[in-house]
Amino acid sequence: MKWRHASQLVLSIGLLAVPLTASAKGKTYHVVISGMKFTPQTLTVNVGDTVEWTNEDIVPHTATSKIFDSGTLEPGKSWKTTLHRQGAVPYRCHFHPPMTGSIEVK
Amino acid sequence: MLLKSTVRTGLFACGLAVSFAAGSGAFGQAGAARPAAAETSTAQPSALTDPQIAEIAAAANQIDIDAGRLAERKAHSKDVKAFAKLMVTDHSAVLKQAQQLLKKLKVKPEASAVSKALQSGAKANIAALKKLKGNAFDKHYVDHEVAFHQQLLDALDQTLIPGAKNAQLKALLEKVRPAIATHLEHAKKVQSELAKKK
Repeated sequence: MKWRHASQLVLSIGLLAVPLTASAKGKTYHVVISGMKFTPQTLTVNVGDTVEWTNEDIVPHTATSKIFDSGTLEPGKSWKTTLHRQGAVPYRCHFHPPMTGSIEVK
Repeated sequence: MLLKSTVRTGLFACGLAVSFAAGSGAFGQAGAARPAAAETSTAQPSALTDPQIAEIAAAANQIDIDAGRLAERKAHSKDVKAFAKLMVTDHSAVLKQAQQLLKKLKVKPEASAVSKALQSGAKANIAALKKLKGNAFDKHYVDHEVAFHQQLLDALDQTLIPGAKNAQLKALLEKVRPAIATHLEHAKKVQSELAKKK
């Protein structure tokens, strides 16, 4: 009986996971890098949403956190990532330490 | 007119004096531009032409790239090396975009007393840096970077941005300003870290 319950549980988690994955194709948020700033500087998104950074500044930048790193974004270039885990994600420009931003993933 | 030309001569002379006396910063002392604006409301913020402003901007970027390249090789501290690398990257990016704009606008940069003073100040700085090693090199390079970016920022605010006549040139200079302000902040941080190490 226990095993049956367990397998049902696994099955229901599996079923739950489907819509979660589907919602990964959710919203895309845009962050503009300009004037040595991330705008908006703070952003609240849902799990599965995508954030895209576009460098409209005159110098190269990065969007770097513990869970993602855009690498060098030359002026005019964009980079995006999908956020799969809940929590606060502070990030910064690897080149310019005063440039910071944060994403709250709900 | 007389006042204007006196102010102009004063600005240039001051720039040159600073350059030769201190071997750094030749944009003209911040103080030189301020009384000019205060004395007469009709005076232009700058007597420089757009081609002269373009040359000053190009020279300022090239100067910081050259110093940065030297510091990338010679700096002792990891932070100073990283800062130097950033200066090379950022000022190269700005220079590239400035050159593209000037080409588009068909503006041919033109030398002026200010750009010449900047270049001779830079030459003196490089010569001084080449004689130094280790911590002494780091200190001289970073101190100079703080002063240079402060002067560049003052020049942008008081002379170059208000003086630019072409809207696109003005917009480019305005776009450069936050980068220079961030560099100044960064250079000051590196400077205070170096001071702590002693």
